[in-house]
Parts: sequence; C-alpha cells; structure tokens
Amino acid sequence: MTEKKKGKLTKVLDYLKHEDPFSKGVAFCPGCGLELLLRFIPQVLGNDIVITGTPSCSAPVLLGQNNQSWHTLSYFGTLMTGAAANATGLARYYRKAGIKNTVVCFNGDGTAADIGFGNLSGAAERNEPFIYICYDNEGYMNTGIQKSGTTPYGATTTTTPLGSASKGKNLRRMNLGLKMAMHKIPYAATATLSDLEDLAKKLLKAKEAKERGFAFLHIFAPCTTGWGYAPENTIEVCRRAVKTNYFPLWEAVNGKIRMTKTVKKPQPVSTYTELIKKFAHLNEADLQILQDDIDYEYCMLGGLSVLEGECQLPVSSED
Amino acid sequence: MSSNKFLKHEGPWSDANDPLMCSDTGGWRTKRPVVDKDNCIFCGFCAIYCPIQIMEMVENSHFSVDLRFCKGCGICAKECPKNAISMIAEGDFQK
Ligand SMILES: Cc1ncc(C[n+]2csc(CCOP(=O)(O)OP(=O)(O)O)c2C)c(N)n1
Ligand code: SF4
Ligand code: SF4
Ligand code: SF4
Repeated sequence: MTEKKKGKLTKVLDYLKHEDPFSKGVAFCPGCGLELLLRFIPQVLGNDIVITGTPSCSAPVLLGQNNQSWHTLSYFGTLMTGAAANATGLARYYRKAGIKNTVVCFNGDGTAADIGFGNLSGAAERNEPFIYICYDNEGYMNTGIQKSGTTPYGATTTTTPLGSASKGKNLRRMNLGLKMAMHKIPYAATATLSDLEDLAKKLLKAKEAKERGFAFLHIFAPCTTGWGYAPENTIEVCRRAVKTNYFPLWEAVNGKIRMTKTVKKPQPVSTYTELIKKFAHLNEADLQILQDDIDYEYCMLGGLSVLEGECQLPVSSED
Repeated sequence: MSSNKFLKHEGPWSDANDPLMCSDTGGWRTKRPVVDKDNCIFCGFCAIYCPIQIMEMVENSHFSVDLRFCKGCGICAKECPKNAISMIAEGDFQK
C-alpha cells in the first residue's frame, strides 16, 4: 500500500539531513517561531556546531537546568553585552587547535540590535570566522516583552503600552540586516520561517562563507505570546511579512545585495498587522506611517542593490 | 542519539552525558490534530512547519503526530493545503 499519492513531497525535507538534537518536550510556548528555527538549524547544518548565546527565550532550553540538558549540541552560555566577543574567542580557539567545526552565535534582537551590538559590529569589522544568527522577535521577550531597536512603529510592548500618553512605540525600527550587510562581510542575509528552503540555502551559504570570515543571518521569528496572535498563525505571519515587504528576503555577498524573493504585487501592510494584537489599535494614519517606512526601506534596498552593482568595492575578500 | 562533540558540559552545571530532560508537553494541549489520511496528498508541509518536529512519515502515505509531545498549536492544520488535519478539543476524546 505505498503508491497512492499524487502530491510531491516538499523539497525542504531534502535539506533536513541531520537529526534534531533537541529533546521532544521543551519549554517554548506552543507555536513559538523560535522553537522551529532552533530545531531546523542543526538539522540543516549538522550536529557538529557549537552554539553560543545569551540570556533570552532560547537560553533556558540551550543552557539546561540543574544537572541536565535539553539537547546534545555543544553550548556556551554568555552575557548579552559580549556575545560576539565570546564567539570570537571560541572560533579562534577552534581554528588554532585545528578543530573543524562551526561556531554559531545565536541571539535575540535584544542582544544583537541593542545590548550586544557594539561587539557584533566589531566582530564583523574584524571578519571573525563564525556565523551570527539574530532571531528577531522584535522585543525582549524573556523578560516580559519590552521594546527593542527592532520593535516596529506602533507596536505595543510593556514599555511602549497603549494608554493616554502612549500609543505603542513612537519610533521607527532599525534595519539590523542591512546595517550588518554594510560591514561588507562575506555573507549577510535575511530569512524567515515561511520560506524554509530559502532559509536552508542561506544557512548552508553562511556555513560556507564563514571559511572566509563573518556571516550574519537576520531571521524573522514571530512570538505568539508577546505579539498576541493565534499560535497556529506563526507561519502565516511570516508569509504575510514577506508578501507586504515588511520583511523582504535578500542576501548580500561582500555587501552586494540581491533579492532572493521578489514580491510581484506587495500587499498593504494592514494584511500583515490585522493578524497581530500589538498593532490592533493602529488607525489608518498610523498604518500609513508604518507603510511609508516599509516603502522607504524597500526603496533603499533596491537602490543599494543597483548601486552596489555599479560601484566596485576596492578591498574585498575572495568570493 | 548524536553525542556532544566539543564540550563535556553544557554549562557549569549541566552534564551532556546524562539522559536529556524532557517535559510532558503533550499535557499542555487543549486541541488535538487529527489527520485524515484519505485527504492527505503527502506533501509534507505539516511536518516541516511543526515547531516541535514531531510529525513522522508513515510509509509513503501520510504523517502522524507524536501525541506525547504535541502542544496543540494548530500550525500543521493551518498550513495543510488540503485541510486534511482537524483540531479537535481534547475533552471530546475523554468521553
Ligand atoms: C546586560 C543585561 N541586561 C539585561 C539582562 C536581562 N535580560 C535577560 S533575558 C533578556 C531579554 C533578551 O531579549 P532578546 O535578546 O531579544 O531575546 P528574547 O528574550 O526576545 O528571546 C534581558 C533583558 C541581562 N541578562 N543582561
Ligand atoms: S515568549 Fe515568544 S519567543 Fe519566547 S518562547 Fe514564548 S513564543 Fe517563543
Ligand atoms: S499541533 Fe502544533 S505541535 Fe502538534 S503536531 Fe501540529 S504543528 Fe506540531
Ligand atoms: S500538510 Fe496535509 S496534505 Fe500535506 S502531508 Fe500534511 S496532512 Fe498531508
């Protein structure tokens, strides 16, 4: 009773070549985007990676409790202020000791975009040979959903609440991925969970690129608990973020930007925000501000990809 | 089970050589995914998007859920292009 189906198995399964090193029952919220991402990475990259990261929603699972652990990967827990500096040390040690492996510095946006940005930028500038992954849930989730540099305009968090004096975050979000690409590192890319084949390819490219130096992945990973959307919508939220150009998918080799997915008819941002409670209070004028920001960022990205094609980077590592 | 290759200890306090910890996350579930094998076109979307990665391939036919750990998030049901997975209230199974 084998041949009955007409469907074709998704190609994503072909990229899952290694086993999932995590225990099956771990403490992430049901529907958490981060859980899917964490289980996906070693299945694609292999189990011979060393993960290092900071206090965050990922840490309780990566670090273990009492005398036991939740997974069989090597993990090195570090501080929010110095994540990339620690990863530098690890990567240099393994290189000097002649041990071949992949150091993955895995952090939330709180560490990557804010508290640990200085040494992240420094490690990129020195072109240290490891992969830095920022899973972006647009806030400090583990400490109770405070705003971060990547929290978008209008979003409510516990530090940008909805009330008489505040209507959510009153500032635009920073573009972390682009900022890192501007370091002209061997590889920088954005990715998300709705496009898993794209994510898998980018993970493999990052692994290859780290032989030449720094690789950075900015991965959009929605948080059902902190954003207020139904757990079953995690993938749909990612999909709509891409379809509205809220989170465009691109890659940059030595700073040269190329879109990996172009959306033919971008949807208005409201098709994305309507799924999520943190945006529920936004009126049309507020949504327009968010839309204008998305359009601006997208236009910049397009402009840069053209310019980077025209201008020659004088010093660039081999491609 | 792959072994920890590079560090003997996960942190100062946890030993990677011990059996892994595991929570009874199946107990969190309020709705249970039920796969309709006849409607399934065996595309695998439910399996790749399941955050816990607990959908096992059964022959060349369909995917089945490990209910010991399924948290009942409903992503598999939502992402199935054929609506072949329904989320049924756990209470209905107790009657
Ligand atoms: C220097 C420093 N400041 C504050 C904290 C407290 N803290 C622990 S976890 C956390 C949130 C981390 O947020 P993020 O990196 O975005 O990860 P997420 O929780 O969203 O997964 C904070 C602020 C800390 N550990 N170190
Ligand atoms: S709070 Fe958000 S990021 Fe943290 S485990 Fe829950 S869903 Fe995941
Ligand atoms: S309900 Fe969620 S946890 Fe359970 S099998 Fe479906 S996707 Fe996986
Ligand atoms: S997503 Fe639906 S059709 Fe595809 S394998 Fe799963 S149950 Fe079958």
